[in-house]
Amino acid sequence: MSAADPNLQAAPSSNLEVQSSAKPVAVGVELEPGAPSDVDLMLGIQSGDADALSQLYDRYNGIVKALILRIIHNDTEADDLLQEVFMEIWNQAKNFSAAKGKPLGWMVTLTRRRAIDALRKKQAYARAEERLQAEPEQQPLAWVQNTTEKEIEAGDTRALMAKVINSLPEAQQQVIELAFFQGMSQREIASNTNIPLGTVKTRLELGLKKIYDGLKELKDEF
Amino acid sequence: MSFEEFQNCARLYVIGALEPDELQKFEAARKQYGSAAEDFINQCYGLHEAFALSLKPAKASASIKDKLMSMVRERQDEAGAKPS
Repeated sequence: MSAADPNLQAAPSSNLEVQSSAKPVAVGVELEPGAPSDVDLMLGIQSGDADALSQLYDRYNGIVKALILRIIHNDTEADDLLQEVFMEIWNQAKNFSAAKGKPLGWMVTLTRRRAIDALRKKQAYARAEERLQAEPEQQPLAWVQNTTEKEIEAGDTRALMAKVINSLPEAQQQVIELAFFQGMSQREIASNTNIPLGTVKTRLELGLKKIYDGLKELKDEF
Repeated sequence: MSFEEFQNCARLYVIGALEPDELQKFEAARKQYGSAAEDFINQCYGLHEAFALSLKPAKASASIKDKLMSMVRERQDEAGAKPS
């Protein structure tokens, strides 16, 4: 990654703060009535409640593992990393601040960083590049696979997110895929795809803006 | 840098895609725009959630949670009731 993830830098250990007016744009997962919120669970973890971590794991292990798998493409390693990520959530919970964003966003940022680090450490990066070069047209489709109109009509969160992303031209999906899931810089994307650097930048900017605007519209509907 | 340009950079920043020279200009603009800049950056982190939520959840090995909770209990025993 070419820039630091500021949400992962040590926050003041003053625990959770009141939510600021700047809410992240994504729509969250639906909870059962009476279930503790993600922030409640993070508060519990910050105070050393192992049951809160257990509940957070039950709620998000599928999403976290899917993200890890999307980056490192190995099921066994993904399971190992999943365990390490939740252990890091336990160890680093004091650095989470609700004023800076939602727990899921914090977890995803942490997970992505760990998974990309793992990918690079074991030098699988080159192999992933080869795989991506071999299947450039399939990546965006794989990202949003198995989304049905029925799921979209039912308001399924994944389907709605996928619909927003799928509305982008494939060329824009491809560069976002490489930047977000492979941790490539603009120059690395340009080098790996033979797309001019300026075009990479434009595609990233346009694609991310469309997703951002699409998610904002989606959020306003809820 | 206009605020619109800053917004474009912020969306790249949160996914770690700014080049070093762009990062310098971004940080300067971030200081210039103050709390409005910080609020916008925080909003942009919603993109991380969105990308993760767009994926089909994957099934983890059943033993992972047992191992995790066992490690947590060990850590609690070592460090008292609070996480380190």
